[in-house]
Amino acid sequence: MRSLANRAAIAALITRSKNELIRVPGAAIPGILAPTIFFLGLNGVFGNLVQLRGFDTDSYLSFIIPISMLQGAGFTGAATGVNLARDIEQGWFDRLMASPTPRWALLAGMVLSACARALIPAALVLTIALLLGAHFPGLIGLFLSALFVAGMAAVAAGWGTMLALRYKSQSAAPLMQAGMFVLILFTAAYAPLDLLQGWLHDIAVVNPVTQIVEAVRQGFVGGVGWQDTWQGLVALVVLMALMLTASLRAMLRFNN
Amino acid sequence: MPAIVVEGLERSFDDVEAVKGVDLEVQEGEIYGFLGPNGAGKTTTVRMLTTLLLPTGGRAEVAGHDVVREAGAVRRAIGVALQEAALDPLMTGRELIRLQATLHGLPRAEGRRRADALLRRVDLDGAADRRVGIYSGGMQRRLDLAASLVHEPRVLFLDEPTTGLDPVSRKTIWEEVAKLNREGTTVFLTTQYLEEADQLANRVGIIDHGLLVAEGTPRELKGQVGRPHLELTLAGGPSDAAEEICNRFGKPLPAKDGKVLVELEHGAAEVAPVVRALDEAGISVESLDLVEPTLDDVFVEKTGYHLEAEEEAEPAPE
Amino acid sequence: MNALRTNLRVIAALGRRSIWQTFRRPQLMAPIIVFPTLLLAIQTGGAAASVDLPGFPDVDSFLQFMLAGSMMQSMLLAGNSGGIALAVDIEMGFTDRLFAAPISRFSIVLGRLAGTATLGALAGVWFLAIGLIFGAPIEEGVWGALIVLLLVSLTATAIGGIGAAIALRTGSASVVQGLFPLVFVVLFLSSAFFPQSLMVEPAKTIADYNPLSTIVEGIRDPIISGFSATEFFDALLAVAGIGLAGLLLAAAALRRRLRTGG
Repeated sequence: MRSLANRAAIAALITRSKNELIRVPGAAIPGILAPTIFFLGLNGVFGNLVQLRGFDTDSYLSFIIPISMLQGAGFTGAATGVNLARDIEQGWFDRLMASPTPRWALLAGMVLSACARALIPAALVLTIALLLGAHFPGLIGLFLSALFVAGMAAVAAGWGTMLALRYKSQSAAPLMQAGMFVLILFTAAYAPLDLLQGWLHDIAVVNPVTQIVEAVRQGFVGGVGWQDTWQGLVALVVLMALMLTASLRAMLRFNN
Repeated sequence: MPAIVVEGLERSFDDVEAVKGVDLEVQEGEIYGFLGPNGAGKTTTVRMLTTLLLPTGGRAEVAGHDVVREAGAVRRAIGVALQEAALDPLMTGRELIRLQATLHGLPRAEGRRRADALLRRVDLDGAADRRVGIYSGGMQRRLDLAASLVHEPRVLFLDEPTTGLDPVSRKTIWEEVAKLNREGTTVFLTTQYLEEADQLANRVGIIDHGLLVAEGTPRELKGQVGRPHLELTLAGGPSDAAEEICNRFGKPLPAKDGKVLVELEHGAAEVAPVVRALDEAGISVESLDLVEPTLDDVFVEKTGYHLEAEEEAEPAPE
Repeated sequence: MNALRTNLRVIAALGRRSIWQTFRRPQLMAPIIVFPTLLLAIQTGGAAASVDLPGFPDVDSFLQFMLAGSMMQSMLLAGNSGGIALAVDIEMGFTDRLFAAPISRFSIVLGRLAGTATLGALAGVWFLAIGLIFGAPIEEGVWGALIVLLLVSLTATAIGGIGAAIALRTGSASVVQGLFPLVFVVLFLSSAFFPQSLMVEPAKTIADYNPLSTIVEGIRDPIISGFSATEFFDALLAVAGIGLAGLLLAAAALRRRLRTGG
């Protein structure tokens, strides 16, 4: 009986989150457009980097699609944290915490809504990219892209909500955004790993998001293979476990 | 079984002791008024009883469940309307109450039925499908109250439910609270307004600096203070000479709004002698009032200052 | 003379206030220093090999090339931040307090711009220091650094004027904040981050006409090659153009606000 009630609560919280998109479109549009703006801008600026030896594609558009899609997931997840911080400041969160809905269900509602919303900017980037001539990744490549985008949104939502629960203030917003910004861009974002130099190369090697980037990128620059896929999946699962555990812990300790 | 049992409840924030050991009991079906100025520990106490804050000492039970070990059971039994109306401005009133019903595990159809009934009850059915963000303060409070009732709680916590409202809205809330209580809901009400506590509460507890300093029915508490006091408006305002004269007739009380106050040891019979003594000293009395004890007098007696002259800010719960 | 002295004092006082506001709320420093520095780090590490592309200017490193672009990004964001801060003052009612004081109305705007110019100069020093620490020397030496700081401060002032105009016109911090993505659009469509000749169309053509490209080249010149009077005066002209537009818009918005109260 309680599990039915929990599922209904999660669904209700996901439904509530759609209000941010539909009822305040002006607030949502920058988050939806920004990844596409960056995508077009990066291609316009760095597009000729593909002339360098080391790129396994002749299309910079295809090379940077995963970055923009994952950036969209990062922005969406960070926005989830900002929205929670606002709810905490306005007292709405007290209402949720005073209800008998378990904490994990409250968190699940926020995270799952971020996963769904992240697909919107990703779809926009992908559509624009394909219209401009990027390589189509195939159905499996598409599916994997959606999976990793949703998963990255969950990571970002875990990070954002953890900070919101810790600082209880929207002033933590820059930290939420900067964290994801750094995580996604300190990878083989602009160029293949072998062409990165200095400390960025060293960080990208150990950054698990590099595996996620490669897992999404593979379909766009060549073909989907098991090697890149499983490494990306492991990295994603580990990051999700870390961030969501930290967030749940913060929620359980919120009343301390 | 009492609805609320509190034993030695404590809460500290770093080195600030917001609640220093509160003991109280609220019986089923009672309205308990919890009075105190800003910073006294009212909201901190309420947040602990509603499981929104962990105590750092002592224990409490609400509806028979420990607030720490059985927090989930407590949440199922209580309704909460806090100091800030906990509303989402982007939702409509109807959506908000339905969400609350879902969070409390009510089946969909039942939740909808109750939401519609509650909206009618608090006179919001006309505005139910408009966004909360455009509601007036009074409407938001009524919606907050309605949302806290959707699951028919045994115990209702209201934290300063009428602060900031106009007199008409305040009266509406009072009527609703009284009606709920008649229907069997226990109400724990914190307030800064003495009139509110006087009107609604069966019993009142006064908290100051984190400790319960008095408890009883309004009548009992006023009876403890006992004697009427004289409020004098003097031409030229309060002065040392005037205070010295008044002190001869009774116990001096803290000045209020520029008036000299003195508790009369022998009651109304001493009004004329006081005025005569002041007149003989050349001090002219512009107006005088003989005031029977009020809860404010009780407050002054127990804490040393008037409730309306609250000074300190409550340490923000972290 | 007295009136001029009074107005200068007011401008200095309000300028100081806007600087202290920024330092007391670290999140206001993030767009001016933190984000551009992060992006600089990412782009120099990620696109460093681009110096090997045929046609890339002769530089010691990609960092040396990028410094000017990062400074430009910082100036745009400083102007945006200044606009947000002014809009917050309007929302809070603080500007009403200033309007009710016996001071020149426009000194209120100039005070904000003075603060933005100072922050711009400080950001310029920061990026020049990063360049020196991480092996990107200024070819024109001390004189070149001073030219860079002059252009950077003037650019911050000019952009700040546009930010102030938007703040005065809308009175809304969230509207000014919503222009944040636009900053990146304008930057990407310039030669801030890559040589214009090596950009991809249509960005390449747009960058050719974008006044920010002219300003960036003026700032970049003393760092990567040496002082060129043509580049310098072209940059000054572009800054003056943007500055004049910003001041005129700000003056018009201020007049409107004073006339209509909103």
